[in-house]
Amino acid sequence: MSGDDERTESPESTDEVLGVSEVFKRYRDGDATVEAVAGVTLSLPRASLNVLVGPSGAGKTTLLGMLGGLVLPTSGDARIDGVSVVHLRDHHRTALRRTKVGFAFQDLALIQGMTLLENVLLPLTPRGGARKEDVTRAEALLERFGLLDKRDRRVERLSGGERQRGAIARTLVLEPPILLLDEPTAHLDSENAAAIVDALVELRDDGKTVVAATHDARLAEDGRVDRSLTMRDGRLC
Amino acid sequence: MRRALAILDYALGATRRRGGRNLAIALGLAFVVGLVSAVLLLTGALEREFALSVDATPDLVVQRVIAGRPALIEVDSVERLRGLPAVRSVRARVWGYLFVPSLEANVTIVGASPGELGDTLTDSIVEGRRPRPGAERECIAGDALARHLGLRPGDGIALPVHGEIRVLDAVGLFHAESALHSADVLVVSEAMARDLLSVPEGQATDLAIRLTTPDEAGVVANHAEIAFGQVRVLDKRLLARTYELTFGGRSGLSAIMLLPALAAFLLLAWERLTGLGGVERREIGVLKAIGWSTSDVLLARVMESGLVALGGALFGLLAGYLYVFHLGAPGLRAALLGWSTLYPELVLVPNADLGQAAALLGAVVVPFIAVSLVPAWRAAVVDPDEAMRGTT
Repeated sequence: MSGDDERTESPESTDEVLGVSEVFKRYRDGDATVEAVAGVTLSLPRASLNVLVGPSGAGKTTLLGMLGGLVLPTSGDARIDGVSVVHLRDHHRTALRRTKVGFAFQDLALIQGMTLLENVLLPLTPRGGARKEDVTRAEALLERFGLLDKRDRRVERLSGGERQRGAIARTLVLEPPILLLDEPTAHLDSENAAAIVDALVELRDDGKTVVAATHDARLAEDGRVDRSLTMRDGRLC
Repeated sequence: MRRALAILDYALGATRRRGGRNLAIALGLAFVVGLVSAVLLLTGALEREFALSVDATPDLVVQRVIAGRPALIEVDSVERLRGLPAVRSVRARVWGYLFVPSLEANVTIVGASPGELGDTLTDSIVEGRRPRPGAERECIAGDALARHLGLRPGDGIALPVHGEIRVLDAVGLFHAESALHSADVLVVSEAMARDLLSVPEGQATDLAIRLTTPDEAGVVANHAEIAFGQVRVLDKRLLARTYELTFGGRSGLSAIMLLPALAAFLLLAWERLTGLGGVERREIGVLKAIGWSTSDVLLARVMESGLVALGGALFGLLAGYLYVFHLGAPGLRAALLGWSTLYPELVLVPNADLGQAAALLGAVVVPFIAVSLVPAWRAAVVDPDEAMRGTT
């Protein structure tokens, strides 16, 4: 069921869990203005696996950020589970993100100097830290991604693929219904990449809404992906 | 509370992760705090010493003055004061300084009557025994002086007098609450004191007056001045006030001179804390992306600054304490005491004022945290997309 034909589903769809309407994002770069995202409208349903494909600089990560309320659009609207995040105060938007969205960004991955387990448990800190059951859940996630034996290793001593899987494990520790992943299969060999794709499919089947931005054709062209959306120059095409 | 503790735990880890920078800031802070605390601790210890010293001083001391310098006074003068109202006792004292070349310092020789040797000092003998009445060559030494000389009961002390050497037997050591009273004092019989100090019979160094009512000190002092003519009367209360002003002034001046150092350090800390490195910016982006609010990040940054400031300040306090009470405050001590080189040794008694330490900590840590608040806030409000920019 992949294809671009469903990219402009009605924002009012009752099944929508993530949506943006006519969003623009412009950055100042010296005297110039860079338009990272230009007039995108998109509605993604619950329990779906979605892939954003496009070259570097196409605006995939920025759109991902806007879908998750991490990046505010310069204009337009962004919704998480029916709630418009554009006019929410920072702490309300943070609270919404914390309960609904898990992020794993390629360049905002794990914090160096901390162990893998400490990184995975980090989202729990503002809630008062990890309890015993949280640690058990984190260990189960690490086992799911083949990292349990690395739990006490500092992240700078992990390979790129291990760090990537660790970052995905961290997005799941708060059990959010929405997962936003930037280049989840980057740094991974074929076997590990396939394992990640399998895991994303499983998560979708568990009822989670997954959006991944990628260059990787192995993920974009996987038959189990619900939507594959192509971006170029800040626009869906 | 659980949230604060969890964020504190994270801040502890962050402090460790940025160990190089934080250590440099903490050491700078420790240096400034160490200097300030050394001045305060030394002043406090000296004030305590002089307070104890003043406590042991007679209410009034009458010295004869000739050509503006202290001179010997007639022992008979005692009788002219003894009958005054408010006077409890008057005693003609024989004491003075004897320069000992081998020590390159003055020793204070105090002559004591047999009664004094037997009674007054008995309770304070900490080693050995008191001198026997009539045994003119026996003496007792202050424990601080004995420690400095390596003197033990039974040892002899050679003192140069009129080109000859007098050898005294140290039969005991005494302790005085104030180190000033035991740091350079040798108590000998009054006859030996006269011999060592060349004080003829019938004359004394000064007159020590104890009063029944200290408020009458002015009246008695006036009477003494009228009765004896050229005398100087030292009032214990004025002496205390003089010490207080002297050391308070010197320490205040020293502390004021250190204020620019503290201000310069806070400016330096501001510079260091304001510059948000790429790694820190990325870390904040990660935290916000995984659900930390601005207030969570701000709290973590403030806690990190607080830990650095508290650690540095505590280390500085400890260093100041060790510098003053274990190393004897070399350099600073001479600046505050002025005449300390005349002393064989003055071992300061540790006298930590917890209130003063807490005030100093507050005076350093609070401004430091305040200085770090703006950079912390600027770091905390970094929009995650700023951290992400360049990754599109």
